Amino acid sequence: MSLVAEAFVSQIAAAEPWPENATLYQQLKGEQILLSDNAASLAVQAFLQMCNLPIKVVCRANAEYMSPSGKVPFIHVGNQVVSELGPIVQFVKAKGHSLSDGLDEVQKAEMKAYMELVNNMLLTAELYLQWCDEATVGEITHARYGSPYPWPLNHILAYQKQWEVRRKMKAIGWGKKTLDQVLEDVDQCCQALSQRLGTQPYFFNKQPTELDALVFGHLYTILTTQLTSDELSEKVKNYSNLLAFCRRIEQHYFEDRGKDCTFLLLCIHGNF
Amino acid sequence: FRGSKGRPRQDGGPLGAQLLGRRLGAPIGTQRVLGGDGDVPILTTEDNIVSQPAKILNFLRKQKYNADYELSARQGADTLAYIALLEEKLLPAVLHTFWVENDNYFTVTKPWFASRIPFPLSLILPGRMSKGALNRILLTRGEPPLYHLQEVEAQIYRDAKECLNLLSHRLGTSQFFFGDMPSTLDAYVFGFLAPLYKVRFPKVQLQEHLKQLSNLCRFCDDILNSYFRHSLGDG
Repeated sequence: MSLVAEAFVSQIAAAEPWPENATLYQQLKGEQILLSDNAASLAVQAFLQMCNLPIKVVCRANAEYMSPSGKVPFIHVGNQVVSELGPIVQFVKAKGHSLSDGLDEVQKAEMKAYMELVNNMLLTAELYLQWCDEATVGEITHARYGSPYPWPLNHILAYQKQWEVRRKMKAIGWGKKTLDQVLEDVDQCCQALSQRLGTQPYFFNKQPTELDALVFGHLYTILTTQLTSDELSEKVKNYSNLLAFCRRIEQHYFEDRGKDCTFLLLCIHGNF
Repeated sequence: FRGSKGRPRQDGGPLGAQLLGRRLGAPIGTQRVLGGDGDVPILTTEDNIVSQPAKILNFLRKQKYNADYELSARQGADTLAYIALLEEKLLPAVLHTFWVENDNYFTVTKPWFASRIPFPLSLILPGRMSKGALNRILLTRGEPPLYHLQEVEAQIYRDAKECLNLLSHRLGTSQFFFGDMPSTLDAYVFGFLAPLYKVRFPKVQLQEHLKQLSNLCRFCDDILNSYFRHSLGDG
């Protein structure tokens, strides 16, 4: 968005309070949505819960095409549509709600850096696994991505998306990586997050911020999504403070409010 | 792998890698860049050829040259996070300044680069790197609703300036990012900032912004004076 457009949107956003009927759009939960999109959607949901803003989740097969940026999730608030966590955080801030106001400049810099780390490593690894790992592509991704559409559209769309993602991976230097290298990157990222979190309840001690929402979205989805193998979730399970972190946010912001969420209990206590 | 002050590079690290090597006492001299598969920078030792900054840093680490022993676990994690920030927010604009912006590319980057690699690679490699840079920028940042190259350019420069501001906040008045001794993060940041700071370009918007952040300029000058003094005369 250009500077002028951004300022314009901020002004409109600030004019009205958060309505009761705000909705979040994502793909179909059971049959269609993929790992990376699910993580992004959960991150936004967690963020809005942390801000105490009511949101209704609506699943649509064409959510990706409805979105202004082509990415899910997007929220429909009043007569505005905003997609992706970054712009949504800005939008919510323009309405007067913010989780990171209490941070000083150095902490804000740190928060942004860690958010980029998650995007750079975790999100890219999820995309790699979904679209560049032959086993996952064949068994899971193609079928799920094309599920709402009739033949031959389902194949065409899936191949098109795969081509797009692979092109991007090649441009950023991930094209030549093997699955083991990608899993090692995930491990490095989780180790960094675990070290930064330490024994605190949230990344910036007592209050959660958008970073906590983003990390929760990704880690929770990795832990609870069934893939061809458990290697990815095993990497996260190595870090007990991250597991406790996910459980804490799930309990506090989802279960307590009667939201529909799969339970992590088996995951942590079963320790498999 | 030449250590020259005016050296442009493709992604944030050859100067940084050389800095780290020197800081740790590894003997890194100036060597001619071999073609290889077109990857620069390249570190050559008796029996190894390593390319790409991250791999070079890993290689040095495995050879027991490590600047991060004194860092705590948390500082190590911060290093990874800030490197990710640099790659996502600063790198596109730096790539653009060096390799895509026509005035800069044709008057500075291409002649300099071509003069330091052997013929016939000097005819092919710069063009390939320029296309690769544009490709990378468009694929990673040129998504809807930004449809025109100018809008993408505006966005990436805005992100880069914000990133420089964040680095400046983080550095504050310290000499290095983690106390008194330079670490891997200092090397990475230096690798990005020093060429941006010192190379004389026709189109200089990012450089102008950097020059306003006096602590980052002081950071670059300090490192240049301490570790690169003897090669200041080269290029």
